Amino acid sequence: MSFQRYLLRRILFIIPVCFGITLFAFVIANAVPADPITANLPQSALNNQDIIDAFRQRWGLDQPPHVQYLTYVGNLLRGDLGTSIKTRQPVAEDIGKFLPATIELATVGIVFGIAMGVAFGIISAVWRNSLIDYIVRVFSLIGVSFPVFVLALLGLTVLHAQLGWLPGPGRLAVLLDDPPYVTGLFLVDSLLAGQWDVFGDAFSRLILPGLVLGAYVSGIIARITRSSLLNVIGLDYMRTARSKGLRESWAIWRHALPNALIPVVTVIGLSYSNLLSGAVLTESIFAWPGIGRYMFRASTSQDFPAIMGGSIIIALIYVGVNFIVDILYYFIDPRIRLA
Amino acid sequence: MTRESGWRDLVRQASYQLLRNPLVVFGLVVIAAWLLIALAAPLLAPREPLAQNVNLRLQAPSADYRFGTDDLGRDVFSRVLYGARLTIPSGIAVVVIGSIIGTLIGGVAGYLGGFWDEALMRITELFMAFPTIILALAITAALGPDIRNAIVALVIVWWPQYARLVRGLVLEVKTQEYVTAVKSVGAGGSYTLFRTIIPNCIAPAIILATLDVGTAILTFAGLSFLGLGADPSSPEWGRMVSIGIDFFNQWWMWLFPGLAIASLVLAFNFVGDGLRDLLDPRMRKQ
Repeated sequence: MSFQRYLLRRILFIIPVCFGITLFAFVIANAVPADPITANLPQSALNNQDIIDAFRQRWGLDQPPHVQYLTYVGNLLRGDLGTSIKTRQPVAEDIGKFLPATIELATVGIVFGIAMGVAFGIISAVWRNSLIDYIVRVFSLIGVSFPVFVLALLGLTVLHAQLGWLPGPGRLAVLLDDPPYVTGLFLVDSLLAGQWDVFGDAFSRLILPGLVLGAYVSGIIARITRSSLLNVIGLDYMRTARSKGLRESWAIWRHALPNALIPVVTVIGLSYSNLLSGAVLTESIFAWPGIGRYMFRASTSQDFPAIMGGSIIIALIYVGVNFIVDILYYFIDPRIRLA
Repeated sequence: MTRESGWRDLVRQASYQLLRNPLVVFGLVVIAAWLLIALAAPLLAPREPLAQNVNLRLQAPSADYRFGTDDLGRDVFSRVLYGARLTIPSGIAVVVIGSIIGTLIGGVAGYLGGFWDEALMRITELFMAFPTIILALAITAALGPDIRNAIVALVIVWWPQYARLVRGLVLEVKTQEYVTAVKSVGAGGSYTLFRTIIPNCIAPAIILATLDVGTAILTFAGLSFLGLGADPSSPEWGRMVSIGIDFFNQWWMWLFPGLAIASLVLAFNFVGDGLRDLLDPRMRKQ
């Protein structure tokens, strides 16, 4: 199959999924018994029918559900996600502000996770059933078993409060101003503006939350790297590689690893989309102004334009990252090209 | 008869293999210990989990208060013991209910095939398109923060993986000769599905469920941590950690409930890992 056809098939597959996601988000946001009116209007306004009616009309709550949905999709196609009831800003604008913070954090987290996870996984597989293998396996199980919020608190207490090596919560020190908005990624924007102090501070504040997220992800990656590599190491072609006199390290590096990588890439992709979408806990502990925290606030105040917009964007990221992973397969695994 | 004794043999062999793995044994012991604690919490706890003592706020661990006291002077040790009664049943409930619903939906989809299969599986995939915690967050927030609603929300995000798994198995099993045999003697659709096909697909679902309890407990504690599960006063572990977030230096307030979650989840993961090693034929060869 040519690359274009493969790509086209994957893209065509995504369209109904996207449609389903919007419908699903709409149903969840609307089927709930909670009343957005009591959640969003002050107590004093609840007796005033005029205010309530005006609120209903303003948010389209007086329309039948299918009209609300079609209006929503129509607006969505024009890039309009509605206005958040809570922040009174367009949801698209809010997301544009909160999403870069999450992308920055998730990327640092996944880099830590890959670095630790792949390294531990290889070590564990190469020296399988040795002491170091057991230690790595137990540690990677601890990594996936420890609640991130406990790990975060431990890190903050020890590395920040006790030792003072790393700064506390927040994306930037209170005294520093945000760098001028270009990408929304503080690391990039501060470099573009040449603000080295901002860059340094933003960077140091990414380390701890990044490590916390990375610890969890590395546990998953280490386990899958180990088992995938073990499967490959036992195969006949690896024996051939050794028997023709290759050094063990070269055989593993050049012959085993590329083949063992496919499930690892899947897990990395899944973990990255999870970090981009599900880092609610880490973001709330580190007072990180990201999309997870935005969704959390929207959820607790029944701010349904924000809930819908946020969950649609998150689901799209989820689908998008998986799409990219699928495309990567095409390059990693030549067998797919023949399928 | 033969099938039954075959099963028994297999189970005996598998448990023998499993119990040779020290991590599995360790995990089982920890799980059993926590179950005992949950059952016997009123006997083991030195104090009432909700009893406040304003004079003894934020006390460090001592002989009298083994895990110290919290911001309202409650005994952290007693609260951690009582917490086992909330978190363990909640995690298990999510997995049990979720797997039953998933098995039913996946079973029906696989058995009926055609339109119903397509429709049910597309719906299942939609549930899976949303990240677990985000979906659970939106649902819990909508239903109102409370333990039962948190369980409902988690069940809603939990069933799809079981539906997928069981559907695949049903598709495989329903072409078997013994299924044709049952039908040929006049068994109806629901009898065939629920008495013949599903019992033959259930083992992998049960294994997935065992692997899953740890994750369910972790997610449940996460929801509670966000304030969407147990109410603030209840001795739920995740909730206790979240109160400790304002008390970095009173580490005993959050570390002990945190370790309680971690030890239980780790125990389930040890057992699950051993089970997975045992079941993966490629691993067994080595």
